[in-house]
Amino acid sequence: MSTVIGTSNSGMRGLLLLGLMLGALSLCAGCGGGDAEMADDTTTLPAETVEQTPVVPEVPVEAETVEPVVLDYASMDPAEYGIEDVFFAFDEFSLSEEAMTILAANARIMREHAELVYLVEGHCDERGTVEYNLALGEKRSAAVRDYLTSLGVPSTQVRITSYGEERPFAHGSNESAWALNRRGHFARP
Amino acid sequence: MIPMPMKKRAPTTGAVLLVMALLPALAAAADPEIILGTEKVAWERIDIRVQAPLVFSGGEEAQRAAELVDAVVRDDLHYSGLFNVLRAAAPGEAQADSLQASFGIEGTLEGRPPGTAVTADEAAPVLSLKLLSYPERQLLLGKRYRPTADQLRVSAHHFVNEVVQFLTMEPGICLTRIVFSRGSGDRRDLWCVDYDGENLTRLTANRTLNLFPAWSPEGDRVAFMSYRDGQQGTYMLDVHNGRVSLVGETPGSNLGPGWHPNGRELLLSLSKSGQHEIYRMDLRGKSQRRLTVSPAIEVSPDWSPNGRDVVFTSDRTGTPQLYIMDADGSGRRRLTFEGRYNDAAAWSPSGEQIVYAWREEDLTQLVLMNATGEDRRVLTEPSWRNCEDPRWAPDGRHVVFASDRTGVFKLYVLDVIEGTARQLTHGDEPDTTPDWSP
Repeated sequence: MSTVIGTSNSGMRGLLLLGLMLGALSLCAGCGGGDAEMADDTTTLPAETVEQTPVVPEVPVEAETVEPVVLDYASMDPAEYGIEDVFFAFDEFSLSEEAMTILAANARIMREHAELVYLVEGHCDERGTVEYNLALGEKRSAAVRDYLTSLGVPSTQVRITSYGEERPFAHGSNESAWALNRRGHFARP
Repeated sequence: MIPMPMKKRAPTTGAVLLVMALLPALAAAADPEIILGTEKVAWERIDIRVQAPLVFSGGEEAQRAAELVDAVVRDDLHYSGLFNVLRAAAPGEAQADSLQASFGIEGTLEGRPPGTAVTADEAAPVLSLKLLSYPERQLLLGKRYRPTADQLRVSAHHFVNEVVQFLTMEPGICLTRIVFSRGSGDRRDLWCVDYDGENLTRLTANRTLNLFPAWSPEGDRVAFMSYRDGQQGTYMLDVHNGRVSLVGETPGSNLGPGWHPNGRELLLSLSKSGQHEIYRMDLRGKSQRRLTVSPAIEVSPDWSPNGRDVVFTSDRTGTPQLYIMDADGSGRRRLTFEGRYNDAAAWSPSGEQIVYAWREEDLTQLVLMNATGEDRRVLTEPSWRNCEDPRWAPDGRHVVFASDRTGVFKLYVLDVIEGTARQLTHGDEPDTTPDWSP
């Protein structure tokens, strides 16, 4: 008979030990007379422990509320100045020619309106892991910021952040939704 | 090419092995041959007969308590992956079902007669649970509890942990919990759930994104990432008093965190240099030590259980791949070469294996490999859709992960040995980035 055991499995090791232990126990049973009722007065067997109630730490709801941040996309709509979002290819943070054209127009507007400060949010589609997409989103927003500043937009007018795949613009698991979600979004902070 | 999940191999026989051990003469004659292998383990569950605690007194309430304890014990034994739970025959029924059992669990519950107790403590019944060998019915383990109504589940979990410890010499996971991030849009709160899906509790309520919760090695704190005013920071939740404090906030990304096994340092991916690099940071957020230098994205660091190595994701070759480096940043070596997307590595508690997310043909699946990068094996099925964010249970056998097989990301618990998964969380809101408590 053969038994296949994984290298990572310690359970089987325990089982073997247990087998040995039980072997010993069954020998004991043989000499003890065989009455194996659920007797509490067994002396050769593990004694019942005293009353005990395991203590598990409570997990209360967070006591303190961190400053609420409510983002209201409607009030942040930058379209009133003609600022447009840019889009990216899958797993890419380099700017396409189309994106550069849009950013050149955005840069012109921002240079004319020095009071305009934008938070460029990097967004990703839902594919890939949460953490990697947050990093990718930041690469996208940084690419947007760097291109804008290279066109003469003061760096004080552009802040960046990443929301990865956490705040999709379009819901759906298809290319048309994904394409809308891979973007550098201009928000008014 | 990564081999797909294997079906169960020739049935191995834990139970038979056990019976042979019970009969030393026979065991010596058979001399089972043990082969150490790297393929999926064919594991035969041990047959165990479970009988609901007999209610001596306490009326209907005591009866309900006994039924609850019975249900929890059965689920725990089943979830452990170690046992095949046999229902004890009701009085008058044939006993055939329990003839094959190697062990039995029996118990008694003595409740106060209804109306005689004033406080919850007074009303607590005496619950006695026993593990017996079968068919000899030797007492192997006995425990007695005085659980109030809200402690019945905990008492049952505790007993099964004792059973697992007694039979395998390894601690059980029945009293562990899973913390995760739930929500969509502008809100992701941290939630916590028992390992069996009960006691769902919300931990944060701050109307922003809270992600990547990670239990401290002692289980007393949860480190996580939270946005405040669009800025990511690393925060700490004290699970005893619910207090949240800021650990560190650097410009740009503050991804992670991953705990050092000694509980005194965190691994993070920070982008303050303009690139995402892996850093070690102490819990006061003061000392930050940079471990990587590369123009690539470097994220998802996880410390090895002995604290000597760090596994992480880097896209320095153009696609995200897994790398290992020494905990001081030296000795970097690439771990994965196959596939265009390998990410989110988690080191097993033994340090021998790594589970990670592998993406191909627009589907993310979980892959298990040795920490040397060899012997890779897909753990999940394409029909489960995308499977992400794997984290190990302390037993090194179960992995919690997020899957969108129902259309929305929910958490599932995978038995790595049997290859089966059960759904842990329910509802319409997405659940992601889980972490299993110690």
